[in-house]
Amino acid sequence: MKSFNRLLAGGALCLLSISTFAGSETPEGKVQATYPPISSDAYEKFGGKYGMDRWVESLFKYIMLDNRINYIFAEHGKIDRQIKLNQQLVAVMLGAPGVEYQGASMSAAHAEMGITLTQFNAVVEDAYLACEDLRTPYHTCNQLIAALAPFKRSIVTR
Amino acid sequence: MNGTIRGFGCKSGIVLAFAAGIFACSSPAQAGIYDAGKVLATSGVNITDGAAGGGITPWAVIAGYETNQGINGSIHYTYANLPNYSLNSLGASVGFYDRFELSYAYDLLPTGSTFNTVGLLTNTLAGVVIPDSGIDPFNTSIRMDIFGAKLRVFGESIYDSDSLLPQVALGGFYKINHNEELMKTLLANKTKDFEAYVAITKIFFPLDLLVNVTVRYTAANQTGLTGFGGPNKNKREFRPEVSLAYLLAKNIAIGAEYAAHGKNTDGRGVAVGGNIDTSVLGSITGALNNIGVAGPVGSLANNLNDTLTQRESDWFDVFFAYFPTKNLSFVAAYANLGNITLTPKQTGAYFSVQASF
Repeated sequence: MKSFNRLLAGGALCLLSISTFAGSETPEGKVQATYPPISSDAYEKFGGKYGMDRWVESLFKYIMLDNRINYIFAEHGKIDRQIKLNQQLVAVMLGAPGVEYQGASMSAAHAEMGITLTQFNAVVEDAYLACEDLRTPYHTCNQLIAALAPFKRSIVTR
Repeated sequence: MNGTIRGFGCKSGIVLAFAAGIFACSSPAQAGIYDAGKVLATSGVNITDGAAGGGITPWAVIAGYETNQGINGSIHYTYANLPNYSLNSLGASVGFYDRFELSYAYDLLPTGSTFNTVGLLTNTLAGVVIPDSGIDPFNTSIRMDIFGAKLRVFGESIYDSDSLLPQVALGGFYKINHNEELMKTLLANKTKDFEAYVAITKIFFPLDLLVNVTVRYTAANQTGLTGFGGPNKNKREFRPEVSLAYLLAKNIAIGAEYAAHGKNTDGRGVAVGGNIDTSVLGSITGALNNIGVAGPVGSLANNLNDTLTQRESDWFDVFFAYFPTKNLSFVAAYANLGNITLTPKQTGAYFSVQASF
């Protein structure tokens, strides 16, 4: 049970995981509604499934090399599982067809962790680094940032 | 003039001491309150009035890189080079828990040759006892202290991308202009006054765009550099200001700002000799023309009247901002400040450097 909970917590720990309608407790799994809406070709500009998967891998590379937050992710373990769940989340959030997110909601997963805004922003910085790593243009990266940003309310509890 | 340079040096000393104090607080021993967790560039820069914002407009963002967990701040130096003036602004701002901000700026405006015309006029009125016009023989410099405070009231400029709600802040300035005699010459009503503003800021990530609208309640002339109010009274009004910043990269922004100004001393002359309002010359010329006595005397008075008539334009600038790290940022801008007191077409370069902790 404990490891299963850890699995859920770890999977949802990716602070940039996509969300449906942030601010509500509905399960993550729909395209994020933003004002204005994010580009419909954002997923394609990220390189589709292949590119998006590489991006999440690059994100975790930066997270695990970021001493401000790597220990938090490491303590929860099962990094491979976290990566896989986040690949699902990001794809769903950008509107990829035929993908389903199988992890827990952001607020449920982060409830007991006392995440600070500084730690959340560290992941935002790592996300931008991952975009640069993969030569994804800044404007395209911002579509993903826009979709992820509302999760701040669910994840940051301090 | 010596006094103004010494004053500037003294104030820089105070700002640097403040900076050193904050820097000392940022050592590991004090790591409890020092915080630099904000995303790069998201607290804007320090404006010439000292508060956090764009170049000339205060925004709803709170100064410094701190989040709700700590305290941070920044110091800035800005230099603008216009045909008849240069503006130096040196200041510091501190943000408390991304909620409350205090700022201080010292603006120094050497006026170069601008008021030499008036100086010449006052000197040629021989035999008349002239009170101090506040105009030095060379390079009159205008000095102003600006104390600012800002409170973030509600909203979130960055993270609420699923909502249209912006971040809103209420703020104010108390400005003290030190050139009392010159302000009287320029027909301002007061040399010290407050301003209040409400600022509304939001970042739209899908468009890479930051939008800010500020409404300022003020009676300032040229942000207070030429005093407050006009010959009649100190009438405050609401003036809109807009900033747009387009993010080219996570550390580069380009944009434009517009700030409405007032017309307190528009169309007025200057109070030469303390009592003579040169706009009176206009009516004299008119009268002369009406009775058919024009010619050289009339033209002379007319020309003098035009030269010595003040106007004030709205301000407009386009800028390029670069944030290499959280500790350092630069802004280069082209400013079109239009008419400033007696001189038209004040357009020129603006450069600002800012250091954060």
